[in-house]
Amino acid sequence: MVDLGLFTQIVINGLLLGGIYVTIGVGFSLAFGVLEVVDFAVGEYVMVGAFMGAVLAPLFGAEGVFAIPIVLVVFFGVGALIQPLIHHVTTGDRPHPLLMGLVFTFGLATFLRGSVLTIFGPNNQDVPSSLLTGGVTVPGVGTFPVVRTVTAVFGVTALLVFMYYLYRTRGGMAIRAIAEDRTNARLMGININRYQSIAYGAYAALTGSAGVFIGMIFTANPGMGLQYTAFAFFMVVLAGMGYLPGVILAGIVLGLTQSFTAVYISGNLVLLVLFAIIYVVLLVSPAGILGKGEWAT
Amino acid sequence: MTDDILRTTDLTKRFGALTANDEISISVERGEIRGIIGPNGSGKTTFFNTVTGFYQPDGGSVHFDGEEVTGWEPYRLARRGLGRTFQIVSPFKNMTVRQNMLAVQTDDGRSREEKRDRAEEILEFLEIDHIADNEARGMSGGQQKLLELGRVLMLDPELVMLDEPAAGVNPALELRIMDHIHELNDEGTTFVVIEHDMHVMKTLADSVSVFDSGSHIAQGDFEEVSQDDAVREAYLGGTTAEDDEVPI
Repeated sequence: MVDLGLFTQIVINGLLLGGIYVTIGVGFSLAFGVLEVVDFAVGEYVMVGAFMGAVLAPLFGAEGVFAIPIVLVVFFGVGALIQPLIHHVTTGDRPHPLLMGLVFTFGLATFLRGSVLTIFGPNNQDVPSSLLTGGVTVPGVGTFPVVRTVTAVFGVTALLVFMYYLYRTRGGMAIRAIAEDRTNARLMGININRYQSIAYGAYAALTGSAGVFIGMIFTANPGMGLQYTAFAFFMVVLAGMGYLPGVILAGIVLGLTQSFTAVYISGNLVLLVLFAIIYVVLLVSPAGILGKGEWAT
Repeated sequence: MTDDILRTTDLTKRFGALTANDEISISVERGEIRGIIGPNGSGKTTFFNTVTGFYQPDGGSVHFDGEEVTGWEPYRLARRGLGRTFQIVSPFKNMTVRQNMLAVQTDDGRSREEKRDRAEEILEFLEIDHIADNEARGMSGGQQKLLELGRVLMLDPELVMLDEPAAGVNPALELRIMDHIHELNDEGTTFVVIEHDMHVMKTLADSVSVFDSGSHIAQGDFEEVSQDDAVREAYLGGTTAEDDEVPI
C-alpha cells in the first residue's frame, strides 16, 4: 500500500529540486545551440559553484545565499573568457569541430576537478545557511522545506529572466538567430563572438549559482560534478537537443525521478535509472519526449 | 574617373594545392548590376565568400566604398552596407517572417519603431507582408528567397551580392525577383549576381565578369563576352567551329 503522505512529499521534493535542475539544463542546452559544443564541464561548474558557496558563506555570517551574487558575476566573467577559447578550437580549418569541443571541455572539466581536489582535498564541504532548517507545512499537501523552496524560486526566477532576455530583447533575438544558423546570423550584422560570450557567460553564471544551492541542499564534493554532467545530458536528451521549452519539462522529470528512485529503489541507483530512461528515449523518440529536438527536422 | 563601389586587387584564395581564386582583380561601378558567370568549380562562390569575409584571402585586397575591408568579419561588412545571400536559402525557421527581419542588426541608430516600420515597408515591397506573422519554417522555397532578400534590404545596403537568386524558383517568381532587383537598382543599389541561367543574366546584368578555373578571364557586356575566345574555350573546351555558340 502506497503511503499517500510520503508520495506527496516525494512529489514536492522532486518538483522543487527540478526547479534548480531546469536552470542547469537551459544553460547547457543554450551552450549547445549557440556554440555547438557539448559541454562536458557543466557538472564541474556546479561543483566549483558549490565550493565557492562553501568558501564565501563564512564571510557573510555563515549564509550561503549571500554568495550567489558574487558567484553570478565571477562565473559570468570566467565564462565570457572561456568562450573565445571554445570558439577557437571549434572553428577554422580544424576537422571534427564537435569532437574538438568535447575534448576541450573534457580537459577543462578535468582541470577544474583536479584543482579543487588539490586545494580542498577529497572531503565534503558544507555550504552553511539559515535556510537549511525549517519548512512550511501545507495541511493535506505536505511540507515545503525552506531551502528547497528558495532554491526552486531562484531557479524559476532565473529562468524567467533568461527567457525574457531571449524572447524580448535585441540581444536575445541575436542569440536565438545564432542558435538557428550561425552563418546566416553573421550576414545579418550579428557579431556572433560577442553574443556567444554573453550566452556562455550566462550559462556558466546560472550553472555556478545552481551549484551553491545544490551545495546547500546536499554538500560540496570534488567528485560531485560528473553526476550533474549526467543530469544535464539527461535533460537535453529528454527535451530534444536544442529545444529550450522541453528542458523545463525534462528538469521536472529529472527532479521527480531522482526523488522517487531515492525513496522507492535506492539513492545509489539514481544514475542507473536515468541512463535507462535516456536509452529508451533515444531508441523510441530521438528528438526528445516532445519530438521537437534538433533531430526532429 | 569611375566611381567603384567594390574593387578587388589580385585577390587570391587557396585550399591546399588548389587555387580557387587566382589573383582576381575586378572593379564594380556604383549603380551597376554586374553578373558573374563561369562553369561549375570556376571559383565564383569562393570569390563571394572571400569578399564577404567568410574566407580569409591568401593574397590581394578588397576595397568597398573607398575603404580597405580585406578580411573583415561578415557582420562588420554587413553593417557597413555590403549585403549578401547564399545559394541555398536558410531563414531562421523557428522565428516568424517579421522576427527574421527584425533579427538584423545595424549601426545606424534606428529605434525599435523605425526598424519595425522599415521591416513592414520591405515586406510590402516584396509582397510577403501577408505572411509576416507566420513561422518561416512553413514558407515555400520562393517565399524564403524573397525573405532572404528582405533581410539583406534591412541592412540598407549599398551593394548586394546575390548567389543564384533565381535558382529553384518558378518562372513567375523569377520574374518578380528580377523586377525587384531592377527596381532597387533604379533606386541606387548596386548588385553583383552569380547566375547560371543565361537568359536571366542577359536581361539582368549591365556587364558580366567570366571566371574559369579560378581566374577572371573576361569582362564586358553580355554580347562581348559571349564572343570572347577565352570564354568560348572555357565553356566549349577548345571547340572553335564558327557555328558553335557559347551556351549563354
